[in-house]
Amino acid sequence: MAESNNQDLVTLTVDGMTTSVPQGTLVIEAARQVGVMIPHFCYHPKLTPDANCRMCLVEIEKLPRLQTSCSTKVAEGMVVKSNVPHVDEARKSVLEFILANHPLDCPVCDQGGRCDLQDFSHQYTPTTSRFTELKRVFPKEYFSPLIETQMNRCVQCMRCVRYCDQVMDVKALAPSGRGTLTEIKHFSAHELDCEFCGGCVQICPVGAITSRLSMYDFRPWMLKRTDTICTYCGDGCHITIQKKQDELIEVNSTQGVGRNNGDLCARGFFGYHASVHPDRIMHPLIKQQDGRFAQATWEEALELVAEKFQGIKTAFGGNAFGGLVTSRCTNEELYLFQKFMRGVLGSNRVDSSARFGHVNGTLPLLSVQGTHRWTATFEDIVDADALLLIGTNITETNPITGLKVKQAVKQGHAILVTMESLLPARGTISNITLLATHHLPVRPDHYHIAIVGLIKSVLDNGLVDPGLETRAPEFFRAIKAAIDSTSWAHIEEVSGVSREVFSQSAHAFSSSTRGMIIVGQGVLRSPRGAEMVTNLLDFLILTGRHGQPGCGLCPLAEENNDQGAIEMGATAEFLPGPIAIGHHDTRQALSKLWEVDLPQEPASSLMEMFRDAQAGQVKAMYIVGENPVESLPQTGKIKEALESLEFLVCQELFLTETAQLADVVLPACSYVEKDGTFTNTEGMVQPVRQAIDPIGESRPDWEIFSALSVVMDQPMEYGEARDIFKEIRSVIPGYGLVGPVATRPTPKVDVVQQYLQEGFAHGLATRYVCTQDQPASDTPFLLASTQSLFHSGKFSTRSKGLLQIQSSGAIMLNPSDAKKLGIASGDSVCVSNAHGAVTTIARVLNRIPPDVACFPEHFDQDIRCLFELHIDKESHVPYSKLTWVRLERVEKGDV
Amino acid sequence: MPTHEKILLKNMDQPGYTGSLKDYEAVGGYQALRRVMKELAPADLIDIVKQSGLRGRGGAGFPTGVKWSFIPKDYTGPKYLCCNADESEPGTFKDRQLMERDPHQVLEGIAIACQAIGAETAYIYIRGEFRLGAKILEHAIDEARQARYLGENVLSSGVPIQVYVHAGAGAYICGEETALLESLEGKRGMPRVKPPFPATHGLYQKPTVVNNVETLANLPHIVTRGADWFASIGSPPKSTGTRIFCLSGHVKQPGNYEVPMGITFRELIYEHAGGMRGEKPLKAFIPGGASASFLTEAHLDVKLDFESVAQAGSMLGSGGVTVMEEGTSMVWAALRLMEFFYHESCGKCTPCREGSSWLVQVLQRIVDRRGRMEDLQVLADLCQNIVGRTVCAFGDAEIAPIVGTLQYWRNEYEDLIRESTAISTTSKELPVLALNS
Ligand SMILES: Cc1cc2nc3c(=O)[nH]c(=O)nc-3n(C[C@H](O)[C@H](O)[C@H](O)COP(=O)(O)O)c2cc1C
Ligand code: SF4
Ligand code: SF4
Ligand code: SF4
Ligand code: FES
Repeated sequence: MAESNNQDLVTLTVDGMTTSVPQGTLVIEAARQVGVMIPHFCYHPKLTPDANCRMCLVEIEKLPRLQTSCSTKVAEGMVVKSNVPHVDEARKSVLEFILANHPLDCPVCDQGGRCDLQDFSHQYTPTTSRFTELKRVFPKEYFSPLIETQMNRCVQCMRCVRYCDQVMDVKALAPSGRGTLTEIKHFSAHELDCEFCGGCVQICPVGAITSRLSMYDFRPWMLKRTDTICTYCGDGCHITIQKKQDELIEVNSTQGVGRNNGDLCARGFFGYHASVHPDRIMHPLIKQQDGRFAQATWEEALELVAEKFQGIKTAFGGNAFGGLVTSRCTNEELYLFQKFMRGVLGSNRVDSSARFGHVNGTLPLLSVQGTHRWTATFEDIVDADALLLIGTNITETNPITGLKVKQAVKQGHAILVTMESLLPARGTISNITLLATHHLPVRPDHYHIAIVGLIKSVLDNGLVDPGLETRAPEFFRAIKAAIDSTSWAHIEEVSGVSREVFSQSAHAFSSSTRGMIIVGQGVLRSPRGAEMVTNLLDFLILTGRHGQPGCGLCPLAEENNDQGAIEMGATAEFLPGPIAIGHHDTRQALSKLWEVDLPQEPASSLMEMFRDAQAGQVKAMYIVGENPVESLPQTGKIKEALESLEFLVCQELFLTETAQLADVVLPACSYVEKDGTFTNTEGMVQPVRQAIDPIGESRPDWEIFSALSVVMDQPMEYGEARDIFKEIRSVIPGYGLVGPVATRPTPKVDVVQQYLQEGFAHGLATRYVCTQDQPASDTPFLLASTQSLFHSGKFSTRSKGLLQIQSSGAIMLNPSDAKKLGIASGDSVCVSNAHGAVTTIARVLNRIPPDVACFPEHFDQDIRCLFELHIDKESHVPYSKLTWVRLERVEKGDV
Repeated sequence: MPTHEKILLKNMDQPGYTGSLKDYEAVGGYQALRRVMKELAPADLIDIVKQSGLRGRGGAGFPTGVKWSFIPKDYTGPKYLCCNADESEPGTFKDRQLMERDPHQVLEGIAIACQAIGAETAYIYIRGEFRLGAKILEHAIDEARQARYLGENVLSSGVPIQVYVHAGAGAYICGEETALLESLEGKRGMPRVKPPFPATHGLYQKPTVVNNVETLANLPHIVTRGADWFASIGSPPKSTGTRIFCLSGHVKQPGNYEVPMGITFRELIYEHAGGMRGEKPLKAFIPGGASASFLTEAHLDVKLDFESVAQAGSMLGSGGVTVMEEGTSMVWAALRLMEFFYHESCGKCTPCREGSSWLVQVLQRIVDRRGRMEDLQVLADLCQNIVGRTVCAFGDAEIAPIVGTLQYWRNEYEDLIRESTAISTTSKELPVLALNS
């Protein structure tokens, strides 16, 4: 091993220092390793070298001219000189050339103080210039609501253009014009229409592309930075929050840091103002007799809550309490919440927003392979040779995981099979199906049967792992029998995908050695989610990919800490670990640690709590950061359930519909105002750090739980979040903070064995049975509530930056359907079914499949009423993402 | 006047020759291709071209057979030939004539080159303004396909050779071979960083040869008449064959002249092109397109071959010979050329992009009588800071006019600058400050 490594090393000398680096290393990087920083503009380690700025010239012995160190690869025995006079001269002259046309408006440039051109100029050039001609001046042009360009400052390094193409695969930017008249522009005649990831702003070495959100508001040296984690999705990006005094100025991220390696999406880059929205609740609120809220002190509020809780506990016992917490909370808070519910209130009715779908991924993983986390990491995605994406337009839900997929396909030439309802249509951004080598266009309610089709292809085409039949004969026979009961004719008719396409996709996936399945909200948040995930695990087992290095099934976490919520025991079925709620030894250990008796009653999840509330068994609820009244459809009668409670406490950032029903509202801090940890979708536990002081009188959630426990005389006292983390580590040994790469568990051999022998039989009678929901003739459209790249839940709709990109919802439909109905983009359209009628604006998009209409969930407050609620019998997940509607044009739009 | 046998312009010089397939066949056209498809193994073909001493006519003069031999031998995927017909070098207009007047000669050369390197597809990247040439080529391709000199199955050999014409969009830089490839791929035409070279990573990152029109047009004759015959013409061993020189400027008979390499400029200008158009003596000439440095009447006896012109401090380049008579303002001439380079710099490299705009402004100022002596040092320094520091050879080319004029006619600059100081007090223009005052 060591020997083969040596062979790949090349030894060279840089400025007299000898070093050995891997073959293929660029001279500029080899120099960096011996501490020689070669000035550069166009070079960036993420991008392929373009060698256009000529700043990095060095002398290489035996070569005639100076060479660009950013594009020259090392060679054995190479002698590089960067500290000789003529190299110095060359740098000076390149700077002299750049400065010739540069406006030198540093005093009004947001980059001033952290600008490569400024820095190098300080280092190399005299204070006067020989350039006395006219400078080139570009007329100022409006670029976009969030991104500003100032092309007079541009050094034409093409970093922004290359980033947008090579990393993001968006290709929104291009140079236009020639020579000194080259400007960076976007293609279209209308304003910039891109993913707004901010990558161009971050990668521009000068102040030519900047963010308009904080334009002219600061000088870089006024900023104080805090490194933390983004709250907008499960990818868990590293972000640096920059503030001036207590004002949020900008967010950026650093190359080489975090799971995102410095890349961000629009939510992370432009969404930071949500936390400081003026609607934040500033003080504790107590509801008066007249139904109105009155401002209260923390003492009053906490004492009232404690007194009510005590009263109910004495009268009805712990089981009269229900608790719901948002997975946006930190691990520390989630842990403390369940400890409070179970230990202090004595209730097993604990749940979190992981219930809305993430459990559908975790539960099957646990029962089939004994892990609750991915058995792969982001690095494995990049290295995969086949990726199967099901029910996810990954770029919109988990943009950074999406970048890893793009990298695997674009750079690693991986096979990409997408099973998605969106069509690979050009003309709209952020559509992963455009990169697919194989695309299975499947309606949002047909993932189940399409997965059956995929498995059937594996069985029918002899793609089954050769050893499997002898290793697990019962499993093989049973799955085969279950699959055989559905005919190809039926599969083709319902899914609309031909047998050939299934079989091509199955072939493509089975031909891989590093094959991964990534499952998104289309599966996890739809009826039969857990069954579909189990079936996909069967697919992995059948193709022989299960348990192999670099293979695995990865459910995407939608919320930033869905994974943490499960691991912290903030769901009904789990204690911290996650360990099954009934696990005897763990219960004993926790009892001892918490110095309480754990409640004995059966656990009940979210929907059971609401049911029992209406039945009068649940008397009080503690709802933290969740808004079920709005997020679940009216048909679920959540409001009625909550109104029937004796006492409701909400802990919130904003006075939501749910909080308005509360007796006491406790103001909580957002992620920028507190410390803790988040666990991302791949199981990486990462530190969250406080960037600004709490808004108003708000307090971190953990502090509120702790304070309440003190008032209730069952103190859970912690000085800071880190103390809770210590306790978590004593409960879950080795939890978190292990290093820069997520630890990747491997499937537990005994669990898999058990599954193959008999575990598979559980639910087998139903999980392959294909059912079909037929549209009624008067409601022919399947309406899906979908995710947008520019928002995350409803929280982000309070961010002024993101609202400038997308400020409202529209009903999206396919051009052929639109034509049939006489609907054009901008028209107002009535969407209706038996539950009601809602008027909204139409948007016609090629990528929406026929007979389907989509509406972004972030703006669905009005349209929610059309959806129905289904509850999964097994995982108790409430589903409300799909419904049948009819569409009619009401009025012509102005567009 | 000495007469020389023409090779490339021979057919079209015949009265009534239209360049049609019929006419071309009548003068023995496509016999070379027949021989290549039937009798010659690609390796032997490459050897013949190597022995002939043929060097590229596009500008750099790289030995054609050697260039072909860089194509990886055992590569089985697609390979490409690109015929560089972008001819945008000021003062150069030979490829145009070859394509418009004898298109099949070019196509036969293309087919031969394809067979040599194993390419099944060739693209003719033609300068956008050459609408007529493109139309003629398209028509000739149709004719050749019907006669099976091109197409699915060339001369029943089982080998396909498809030729496509692609028109450029008006950028001089797209004549540079890697910019040409980028443009052909549908991207912005900007030169690539080399290595890797087109021979291994060319069009669509596949092995590719880029050859000039005139280079390719020589191939049928080399195949038919032999390497030794070709190698005996001109100035062997390094500059064999003829070249078509494009005469322009103050000569009596501007136009294309095909002569063996190695004759003198004096013969070319005074015998073939009929001498100077007025009574004035020759002052300066550009020997090989705008990228080649000026030479003076003292260089009239320099031989027109690669080495001799290089020794005289310029280059044979594209064969564009532009002649200037006594009385021509050399500073103005330099400005005129610099304006071209400023307009055409693709803008990729800082020195070329910024340097060309800076240089052109300084020259303009001097011509406008607003110069100062320090400008001469600035001009020289800027040239020094551009040369050898750019991605493509354009950077080296654009300084040629200034370096040459500063070398031979510095006094003209100084005279203009002296005139400027004389008028500066009354000038309505903004005053020009002294540098480093
Ligand atoms: C700026 C620039 C412009 C060029 N323009 C042309 C051109 O118009 N036609 C051409 O044949 N070669 C042109 N060349 C040379 C090509 O890069 C290339 O060397 C040539 O096409 C190779 O063909 P050959 O080997 O047959 O000469 C140009 C080179 C440079 C640097
Ligand atoms: S805008 Fe910035 S990143 Fe883009 S080319 Fe100009 S200087 Fe480079
Ligand atoms: S929303 Fe997700 S992908 Fe976007 S920056 Fe935040 S964590 Fe990263
Ligand atoms: S030298 Fe000039 S023309 Fe050539 S790549 Fe650089 S900028 Fe473009
Ligand atoms: S950093 Fe090497 S040329 Fe720009």
